[in-house]
Amino acid sequence: MRAILVSAAVLLSITSCEKDKLPKTVDQRAYAVETIGKITTVKNLPADTIIGTNSIGQPVGAGRYSFFSLETGQWISNADSNSTKWDLAFAGTVVRINNATSGPGAGGAFVFNGTFESLSSISADSVFRLDNHPVAYAIPRGSGRAWYTYDGPTNLLTPIPGRTLVIRTATGKFAKVEMLNYYRGGQTPSATAADSVKTRDQRFLHFRYTYQGNGTTQF
Amino acid sequence: MAQADTLLSLEEVVVTATRQERRLGNITIPVNLIQRRIIQQAGSLRLKDILQEQPGIQLTSNFGTGIQMQGLNPEHTLILLDGQPLIGRTSGVLDVSRIAVAGIKRIEIVKGPSSSLYGSEAMAGVINLITENPSLPLLEASLRYGVADPDQGWGVPFKNNSFQQTEATVDASYSIRKLKVKHNNNLLFADGVSFRPFSQVRVPRPIHRITHQTSIQQNLGNKAGLKILGRINQDRFQQEFSVSNNGMIIDSYGRELNNELNIQPTLFFRLSEKIRLHTRGYLTSYSGDQLLRFVQKPDSSYRDRFEQRLFRIEEQIDFKKENYTITAGVGYQVEQANSTRYDALANQKQNNVSYVFAQWELKGGDKWISILGARYDHHTLFSGAVTPKWSLRYKAKPSLSFTASVGQGFKAPDFRQLYLNFTNTVAGGYSVFGTQDAIRVINALNRLGQIAELKPDFTKLTTLSPEHATGINVSAQYTPTPAITWQVSIFRNDIQSLIDVRQVATRVDGSQLFSYLNVNRAFTQGVETSFQWQLQKKWSINAGYQLLLTGDKEEWERIKQGKEYIRESNGSSRVMNKKDYIGLPNRSKQQAQLKIKYEDKESRYVYMRLLYRSRWTVANSNGNGVHDVQDEYAKGFMQLHITGGLPLSNTIALQAGIDNVLNYQDVFYLPNVAGRTVFVTLRATLESKQSKK
Repeated sequence: MRAILVSAAVLLSITSCEKDKLPKTVDQRAYAVETIGKITTVKNLPADTIIGTNSIGQPVGAGRYSFFSLETGQWISNADSNSTKWDLAFAGTVVRINNATSGPGAGGAFVFNGTFESLSSISADSVFRLDNHPVAYAIPRGSGRAWYTYDGPTNLLTPIPGRTLVIRTATGKFAKVEMLNYYRGGQTPSATAADSVKTRDQRFLHFRYTYQGNGTTQF
Repeated sequence: MAQADTLLSLEEVVVTATRQERRLGNITIPVNLIQRRIIQQAGSLRLKDILQEQPGIQLTSNFGTGIQMQGLNPEHTLILLDGQPLIGRTSGVLDVSRIAVAGIKRIEIVKGPSSSLYGSEAMAGVINLITENPSLPLLEASLRYGVADPDQGWGVPFKNNSFQQTEATVDASYSIRKLKVKHNNNLLFADGVSFRPFSQVRVPRPIHRITHQTSIQQNLGNKAGLKILGRINQDRFQQEFSVSNNGMIIDSYGRELNNELNIQPTLFFRLSEKIRLHTRGYLTSYSGDQLLRFVQKPDSSYRDRFEQRLFRIEEQIDFKKENYTITAGVGYQVEQANSTRYDALANQKQNNVSYVFAQWELKGGDKWISILGARYDHHTLFSGAVTPKWSLRYKAKPSLSFTASVGQGFKAPDFRQLYLNFTNTVAGGYSVFGTQDAIRVINALNRLGQIAELKPDFTKLTTLSPEHATGINVSAQYTPTPAITWQVSIFRNDIQSLIDVRQVATRVDGSQLFSYLNVNRAFTQGVETSFQWQLQKKWSINAGYQLLLTGDKEEWERIKQGKEYIRESNGSSRVMNKKDYIGLPNRSKQQAQLKIKYEDKESRYVYMRLLYRSRWTVANSNGNGVHDVQDEYAKGFMQLHITGGLPLSNTIALQAGIDNVLNYQDVFYLPNVAGRTVFVTLRATLESKQSKK
């Protein structure tokens, strides 16, 4: 699986390097990681995608997290969940950090109100919150609270612009993360799209981040 | 004759602007007047049909067909029948497709706050339906048949899968000695269109509507008269449809019954040449009853009932001197409602209102007219409201006049905002509580450990107060020749303490609890212009345009402070610019209409109306709290309606037409617009010789 993903990423970087020669065949719906300068963009990371419906007809996933390392830019195997190899774990709207009830690491997080670019350094008096699974998380769940809003009538989930997640990684380094989209292909379906499309394509996360490996809080 | 009907002569008489009969050329606020002849020639059946062709009015499609005037929501326009308010609103919307226009002599539209005369709800303006008075003996009958097929484009008559509508009207006027009587009966059998949101499927929704209206008039000597108007309206909708939910097909049966009754006795008394008295009574009731049942589970029925009653007694005195007129009135009103969506159907809610109003109209020679007025409404349920208004007319030249007005409007909180107790278990599971119950219910849930989180807005819950608006309207009217009239108006409405629904708490299971708060401040402003041209007696051209800009003042402040964000095309966030802001949702920035009519002396006519409305926002699709250029829009559209008339003899006339020739449809955002409809009307009129002019 990982080999496929890495080769997908390699293919992507080839197409972007040699786009003059090769026809553009980038699959916008496939998982991909791309780094340009200090910013790494992750596309279509499945986060406990919908597999069916429960007894009262609500769409549900398998309850499986996707673990991600901000340091290496890689999707980490679930076998490594009890290690410091990962920094963020995703399932639907839940984002967990590697610390406390979620993992053995030194992680922490808080939500910064402001654009990704405007966050050049983490102020010294910042308080990093910890997960208290399943009651509360460092990055709170709920519409309008941390990084997304959910609209009942249209059944659509949208990341809030101008919200940046400030992350302390499993090994105590710092990163800033901006959630970009929640749907496969990176396009939120139209409000008029069928519910089957909204269900099928949701929980494919798109986000970008900058990781500071030298331990400082400057980006 | 054609001229007087198409072009609004300054001699036309209207009542809504001043509560008295006044010539259009002598009033201080612009009134849009629609005569019965135009309503008939346009082939309009329902109030919605004729209103959608008027400048500055936009239709909305939530909770029935509502109207948006000067950019304000449907709940802020008062709709009157002979000066008395119609009731039976759903979520603030009075469904204008409910109201038959047969039996309506003319429609008067006043824009801008008019609460100084009419009280609550007259924030954006007033639409007054004036019924026909009993006239000389007359018998008139008409039959209309129309057919549409939303999928194919053209409907096939009498075919099962076409959308058909049949309307029959019978009018009769007669006298019994001095008692004059007029009956109007209107029947509509129609296949309506689906109102299911987020569904492409149009389901025939058979509608049966019956409207009966009777006016009785009796002169009591030379100085007094009595008029009684009675109107009954009955709707019945019935439909069977299938919903596909995650692959499961659920067959459903739905029906809706609405009943409406209006009784208006008016006693008129002329005390002297100078003093007139009007005593008006009003009794109206509305009931709605909706039933939904799943066919596979007969015990799964869901029933929703709503009943509302309003009783009113009012005394108005008009005192007229040479250069001024004083109008004053006093009234008392009782309003009651019962609903399954309140705590219990049996628990009647009541609000009593007492009110006084006065108006002083002063003439300054031939050039100036000034009207100063105010009204005070006292409600038993919440604080009172004072609404003043001052308006002026200045005739610079016979061909040029200016009017200006500044006034206040208010809307009292309605029963829904006070008492709603509604939980939707289907769509995500949320609850809405009126303010009277919200604190009590949520505190009780909290004690049971059912509340996960109380939002900051919970602490702000308090007794609701009325919404207020201040409106300024300035207009110029230019009539270079009797055949040409050009009018330009600018308007601005500042709305305070707008009631909005806000989340106040979250339950442990994650479902949201909402209630109502006086929070928002908003503005609407714009320009409206209309142009009328009568060409060679046979042609008339009528063009209208409105530019509308709106905004929420808090949102506007946050944007100015750089606290709102938007996304670049690559998905990254940036600070929002002022030019990204769209303002209030569900409003079109531009709207226009062009109407061309040809009519000859023999009353043969062709009447064409082209309507345009620019795109409007329907969903916030980029996650910020405001509506901006990146959000989802409904497409702007053009609609074309054509009718033609041909008198076949002295008594029989034929009308044929095509509504929505271009077959514009938007099943999601304007589901109440039917597809292309071809119709034919046959009308027979027998009137006594004397009534012919």
